Amino acid sequence: MVELAELSAGPKQRGRRGARLRDSAITLGMMGPAVLLYTVMTVVPVGVAVYLSLTDWDGFSTAAFTGLDNYKHLFDDPSSTDAWYVTGLIAVAGTVCMVGLGLVYALALKGRSRTNSFFRAVAYFPHVISALILGYLWAAILGTNGAVNNTLAKFGIEPLGFLFDEKFALISLIAVIVWAGFGFNVVLFVAALQTVPAELLEAAAIDGASKRQINLRIVIPMIAPVVTVATVLNLVGLIRAYDIVVSLTGGGPAGSTQTFTYLILARSFEGTNVGYATAQAVFLMVVSAVLALLVTALRNRQDQAAAGQ
Amino acid sequence: MKSMWRRTCGLAVAPLVMASAVACGNGSDQASEGTTLRVIVNITPNLTEKYWNDLFDTYEKSHPGVTVKLELTGTISADAKLRQDLAAGDPPDVAQQITPTADTASLFADLSDQPWTAKTPLADQYAVDGKRYVVGVGEQIQSLVFYNKAAFEKAGIDAAGIRTMDQFTAAMGRLKGAGYKPLQAAGQWVTGSQFSMMADAGVLTADPEWTAKRKDGKVSFARSDYLPYLEHYKSWIDKGYLDKSALGLTYADGQTAFLNGKSAMYIMGSFFVPAADAAKKSDEIGVFTMPTDGVYPSGQFGNISNPYVVVNKSRHKAEAIEFVKWATTDPKAIKSQLASDANLREGFTYPMSSLGSSVQQILDKAPSVIVKSGMSQPVAGFSDELNKQIQSLYTGSSPAGAADGLDKWWNSQS
Repeated sequence: MVELAELSAGPKQRGRRGARLRDSAITLGMMGPAVLLYTVMTVVPVGVAVYLSLTDWDGFSTAAFTGLDNYKHLFDDPSSTDAWYVTGLIAVAGTVCMVGLGLVYALALKGRSRTNSFFRAVAYFPHVISALILGYLWAAILGTNGAVNNTLAKFGIEPLGFLFDEKFALISLIAVIVWAGFGFNVVLFVAALQTVPAELLEAAAIDGASKRQINLRIVIPMIAPVVTVATVLNLVGLIRAYDIVVSLTGGGPAGSTQTFTYLILARSFEGTNVGYATAQAVFLMVVSAVLALLVTALRNRQDQAAAGQ
Repeated sequence: MKSMWRRTCGLAVAPLVMASAVACGNGSDQASEGTTLRVIVNITPNLTEKYWNDLFDTYEKSHPGVTVKLELTGTISADAKLRQDLAAGDPPDVAQQITPTADTASLFADLSDQPWTAKTPLADQYAVDGKRYVVGVGEQIQSLVFYNKAAFEKAGIDAAGIRTMDQFTAAMGRLKGAGYKPLQAAGQWVTGSQFSMMADAGVLTADPEWTAKRKDGKVSFARSDYLPYLEHYKSWIDKGYLDKSALGLTYADGQTAFLNGKSAMYIMGSFFVPAADAAKKSDEIGVFTMPTDGVYPSGQFGNISNPYVVVNKSRHKAEAIEFVKWATTDPKAIKSQLASDANLREGFTYPMSSLGSSVQQILDKAPSVIVKSGMSQPVAGFSDELNKQIQSLYTGSSPAGAADGLDKWWNSQS
């Protein structure tokens, strides 16, 4: 039947079908390495991680299936709950500050001038340095024997607890994270601000809108999708905060700056309960994904509501 | 079109071919002329990469055909590096700084049938179910208090008279009065470790089975002799003998502060001696056994130094065992390793500073060396949690709260 259909299709149609098949094969061939790489580097490790999280694997011997025990343990392990509290604080406070500061900075420097370009570069500069190095640099500045406290000591002033007082240490950590990361938001926001039509701003100005009103009612709503992207990126990035924690505070004092990722990498994986450590990592991945989806969905709903008005 | 198709296929297959080539090449470390032994070691300020390579060169000269290759662990522990290598199907031959447990013993070669292992230090204390999997070069002891001789003289204190915790506390008061910071602490891992060096000497001398009992739930931190030690520690913070700002110091910073005479006493292990020697301060520093609330002198909380295990999956097991035998029994290798980290071993001497000799005398007089291995090994992650709880004493926790926190954490891990 197929042969008959093919015969009746004629040489022209057969040729077209052949060309389409060749195109598909070429497309698949082009995609092949990328798909293979993605599968090997992402899909397989995630699959293996999910499997290991359901076992009691100690990293050495054969793993035994334990069902959801590791996930249940996540909620009765005091280290985990404490670390989530710290992580939540850093993620929320850090995101708000990074987005807010980035927005203010971008609005102030949106014009095209050499001075603005210089200050935009200054804001972005920490972002190109490894977070680990930034942490060590700030530890050398804020530590008990650091530059600030050494200077204070010369005037007979007791050392300030930037890194040894539990509340101060968390604030110092968030401040360094914000300083290191807000420049990226500035670049994003400045790029977005340049897409806002000039005639719209001129029209608003002619209608008597103040600068503040223009920014709040026109500019910020117009760059809202970019702000959403920055919020999601910052939030997800800060939930995984690790390198600055390691180099600046080492999770201390008294675990007051111990984030969930620090807990997974510095404590759980260093122990022998790899199954549990993997469950923590999978849980972190799920939380990050849910948060990212949640923020995007909220933004979409707001956009739809605005469009409906 | 045909050539384009060929190129596309080529592009797709090339990474696979390259990966296969790399995979085939990997693991063929047995050179045609001899054997390459891969050894995982920890690099420390005393045991540098150069030190190990020099030591391995000595072995290679006396064992033609064998090459010993140093495996660096990077930022992870030897234990984690071994796990990574095993998971990757690329086992090393020998590993250092790993203490086998009942769960992990099967990964290592049972060396019980090697008669030379019986003569290595603490071999039986580290045995698992009576079998020797780990052999070491010497011993480290850790229940020590180093002190600044000038500070003690100024405060009118005789170090030999400090035997109890109350006397220790009184000495701190006099040192503070003499204008010194009485006791040097630091952040990072140091806070918890110093507490362990202090409290374990008393608690584990009185009851060597304490950790095993804790595992069985028969004792707890909150209702044991650990609580009085937590109370002592907290009282030192409250009286200003311990400085909260020390939590912002690294291990190296704390050590330097003591060596520079900013503080009068420093609880640390015998591995502090090389740092004092290097700073040429050994003659200005004295040492005494950690005071306790019980017997004096107490047992020394200690551990095996330079512990070696042979990995069961090693492709060159016989050669690996031969290498470990050399590292732990050859007099030159032993002396070199002992001296590099100021470790100790009965029957072996090397040129020591006055401080090193004092530590040796303390070990000679110690009634026992308390080792945390086998059933006496705390659950994984305990040292981190202990560190967190001891630091919490500086940030407002009560001794009872810290003890409860330790119990709560321990229970959640079992």
